[in-house]
Amino acid sequence: MVELLSNNPPGIWHWLILSTILFSIGLYGVLIRKSAVGVLMSAELMLNAAVLNFVVFNHFVKPFTIDGELMGIFIIAVAAAEAVVAMAIFVAIFKHKKSIDITHIETMKG
Amino acid sequence: MWNEAAGTFVFYLIAFFSIFTALTVVYTRRILRAAIALACVLVCSAGFYVMLDFEFLAGVQVMVYVGGIVVLMLFAIMLTSSAELIVDRPSFQRRFVGVLISIGFFFVTTTAFWATDFPVAESTKDTLFTKVSIEGEKAEPLDDVVELGKKLLDYGPEGYVLPFEIISLLLLSVMIGGIIIARKPPQLENKE
Repeated sequence: MVELLSNNPPGIWHWLILSTILFSIGLYGVLIRKSAVGVLMSAELMLNAAVLNFVVFNHFVKPFTIDGELMGIFIIAVAAAEAVVAMAIFVAIFKHKKSIDITHIETMKG
Repeated sequence: MWNEAAGTFVFYLIAFFSIFTALTVVYTRRILRAAIALACVLVCSAGFYVMLDFEFLAGVQVMVYVGGIVVLMLFAIMLTSSAELIVDRPSFQRRFVGVLISIGFFFVTTTAFWATDFPVAESTKDTLFTKVSIEGEKAEPLDDVVELGKKLLDYGPEGYVLPFEIISLLLLSVMIGGIIIARKPPQLENKE
């Protein structure tokens, strides 16, 4: 068992497939969720998978550099900004319509 | 040997846990539970970054994502009073299309990976936790935070000063936009 585990360390494949699985789950969530907060959470899953991809390529293809890490930090900053605006919009829509079900929000106009 | 075996074991452990919690995020009918599961996924990702030797990014992930965004989501869930709400299952047609598209995406991407030969550097081919030095390159492990700070404010072709400034403007505009969207609408008393 220990032999098997130590002879098969996770390579770039394992990491890439892991991040693809996480991204696919996020995509599924974006497509099926009805609550706007649920859609945003699934989008965060996808962003997280993207950061993981950057970091994996940084580690395996260009070790001893930090460009992937920097891009990860940028993505996290943009995700935070996006989450703040989205939450403000949800709260505003909820005040107006008493629901954040995205299948019932057809118009953006007040 | 034991060290590498432990690394591989921890990788699979965290990977399966994070996939399981990610499925919880999209499947659960209680939106509050989905937010907690999202926090678990993000903490698992921080663990991945530590395994890939990016400790600073892991710290940023925990502070900004888990400490900031998830808490913000919890606030939004409470403010829109859907914490107690159990949302309906989406219709079968919707779920079918969702599964079809996401599985299709997975297969297309995996095929693309399979067809591509990534130029994996020799030093990391079979080590996970230890960076083995390679000849001709900068071999010593670099001090991440110092390098990050230098790169962020570097004007040269390798620098990132422009995205850094754009991000700062983005954060400022988001702050103003968030306040304006979510505030109470102004009272129209002097209408007549």
